[in-house]
Amino acid sequence: MPDLIIETREVSKIFGGLTAVNQVDLEIPRGSIYAIIGPNGAGKTTLFNCISGFYTPEHGQILFQGNPIQGFTTDFISGQGISRTYQNIRLFANLTAIENIMVGQHTNLVTAWWDAIISSPRYRRENANSRKNALHWLDFVGLNGYGDYLACNLPYGMQRRLELARALASDPTLILLDEPTAGMNPQESEEMMAFIRMIREKLEKSIILIEHDMRVVMGISDRISVLDYGTKIAEGSPKEIQANERVIEAYLGPGGAALAKKYQDRRRNKQNA
Amino acid sequence: MKNHQARTIIQKGLLFALILILIMAIGFHEIAAALVSRVFSVDVRRGSLPEVRFMMYFFGLYAFISGWATAGKEGSFSQKLLQGIVASAVAGLIVALFDILLVYLVQNGIDIREYLTAFSTASMSYFLFDRGQAGLLQHLVYFVIFGGLGSLLHVIRDTEAAQNAINKASFFLKSSKEKIDNALPPFVRKYGKYLVLMIVAVAMYILPRLWGSYINFVLGLVGLYVIAGIGLNIIVGLSGQLVLGYAAFFAMGAYSMALLNAPTPHNILLGFWPSLIVAMIMAVLAGLVLGLPLMGLRGDYLAIVTLGFGEIIRILLKSDLLSNLTGGPRGIHDIQGPTLFGRPFFSDINYMYIIFVAVALTIFVYNRLQESRTGRAWLSIKEDAIASQATGVNLKKYKLLALAIGAAFAGLVGGISAARNQFTGPNDHSLLVSMNVLSIVIVGGVNSVPGIILGAFTLKGLPEILREVENYRQLLFGILLIVMMIMRPNGLWPATRPLYEHMDDPESTKKTSGKESNNA
Repeated sequence: MPDLIIETREVSKIFGGLTAVNQVDLEIPRGSIYAIIGPNGAGKTTLFNCISGFYTPEHGQILFQGNPIQGFTTDFISGQGISRTYQNIRLFANLTAIENIMVGQHTNLVTAWWDAIISSPRYRRENANSRKNALHWLDFVGLNGYGDYLACNLPYGMQRRLELARALASDPTLILLDEPTAGMNPQESEEMMAFIRMIREKLEKSIILIEHDMRVVMGISDRISVLDYGTKIAEGSPKEIQANERVIEAYLGPGGAALAKKYQDRRRNKQNA
Repeated sequence: MKNHQARTIIQKGLLFALILILIMAIGFHEIAAALVSRVFSVDVRRGSLPEVRFMMYFFGLYAFISGWATAGKEGSFSQKLLQGIVASAVAGLIVALFDILLVYLVQNGIDIREYLTAFSTASMSYFLFDRGQAGLLQHLVYFVIFGGLGSLLHVIRDTEAAQNAINKASFFLKSSKEKIDNALPPFVRKYGKYLVLMIVAVAMYILPRLWGSYINFVLGLVGLYVIAGIGLNIIVGLSGQLVLGYAAFFAMGAYSMALLNAPTPHNILLGFWPSLIVAMIMAVLAGLVLGLPLMGLRGDYLAIVTLGFGEIIRILLKSDLLSNLTGGPRGIHDIQGPTLFGRPFFSDINYMYIIFVAVALTIFVYNRLQESRTGRAWLSIKEDAIASQATGVNLKKYKLLALAIGAAFAGLVGGISAARNQFTGPNDHSLLVSMNVLSIVIVGGVNSVPGIILGAFTLKGLPEILREVENYRQLLFGILLIVMMIMRPNGLWPATRPLYEHMDDPESTKKTSGKESNNA
């Protein structure tokens, strides 16, 4: 049996009469970059929210390193080693960048409030370490010199990177990235792709990402799952997904596959001529 | 363009005239004159008006301020000045029109106090400097002269030369402060903080003996509100839970102290110090009992529920249901004061000491907490509870912790103040108390200790000292809050966050300097 970081078994999430996620099975191997794509409203973020504990799925099981995690609160799941970023950035706006990262380390710190009041040696040690770590992550995401800025005063691109630093600070085994390159220009997304690769290679983390930018998805992911109306319609390597007719129809509508084929042929002919 | 300018000038003049007329209409000019006489340390006899010259000073000051505020913002030097003078003159003219009415009323001896309480003949003629028609003319002249002076000063301040001079002066001040800092011997630089603390401690030991019981009373009150403000700030400012029933925690503290330490109704007489601890514990328990069912609530709903909780506690204490237990609406009298090493320790000076220590302790605990992991967790909950939980913060635990610690401080305040007043009753713990504490936090500056101290002085200390303003307290309160929200939306002394990245790291600097010397 392969070493799976996350396995979902027939996970369903229902809002009233709407089945947002419908019996989705995923098997995500450790150390991979796994992309979940699909048209708007396909249930990608809902699936993320089920994994990170915002929602409890009505049906099915989510196994993290073999242990079921569905139904637990988000802080427990985060403590297990899953951290995430958000589609619309959710930083702690009126804390400084460094403090944001220090909050990110929360689950790894142990000292309690009375330690802080009497300033016990272990508290002082931990606080100094936590600051040092925060500086390290700040450096890692290239925000040197911006540590004392309030998060809300940072430009958009930096906020994205700061959110990543906050997610990394708890030293998770799995990182969920919800549209990491949203609102970025091509050059910035290129940088972000390199950065995500580095997280996998250097830090040996597993990454699941939701993304709309196909260049990014096809560029970095090992495997891709496609959701449409809450159901998984395809899974495979980027090559396989690009050629999959159901996927093309999900994006372009019925008959889209034929249309796409026509355009591809025409382009090929042009290139040949 | 010209037309537009003229309109704004007239509007400004009109505004200042209207404010002055309103001040007269509520009789505030007498109070203001009395305050001015305070500045010149002339006491006003009870039931009589201050000397007329103080009214003139006040009027001059008002005209000066209106001139300052109405001076033009654009154009040449003389244009700006002219705008200010014209606006002041407009204000003067309108006030003069109002004065004509007053003169008519005074000369014909018409008293309309029945309809407008402030318009007594004495008050009206006092407004006219007791000179009738001559006063009217004087008003106009004052407005032009002092208003002109005000605008002149403002315009001069706005010129480039003056701005340069101000910049230079502030730079000089800063650099000289640095020079002094550098010139200090290293011993003082290292331990200067402790030195200052020691000086403060000695001053706090000596001063209450010197400045008399009245000041002790007022400062004691301010101190108690500082503790309460910081306690509430832990709940509202740090963990972001808008609790409006804070007075309920006072009540828990005060009644614990009273029931355990008064001859009636139970005659337990446990002693002040153990009772104080019980008071804090009871307040914490109340905080937890209130907190547990509230965990799911946020924002407006939380505010309304806690407001209800505060009222429930007050009404319970007031009700006949518990009157055997808590003394009912009459409250509890003759609460025993503290003793220290077997000696009585409850003079006003002693209470001042107790309050100083309590304030110092509160500030110490608050500062330690807010820079810790706990403090950051609280702040993150306030900023974005959902993201905070997803980063691993246990919401329930930290929200309850904030409530408990905040309530403990309220219990401390309740206990001390019950013993200090030797009395506590249901009405000491009304909604207004919660609101006062909340205003102190907001006016002073959320999450800022100096701000809260400043706020407690402004909202609690000043009104006690300026007894004349008593009747206008709520009015001033309202005006102050509105002005604050416009001028300083983050409070009188806004909070800052610690700067970790460029924090002075004495060890690392030592190391680098050591290396350099080795290389040399």
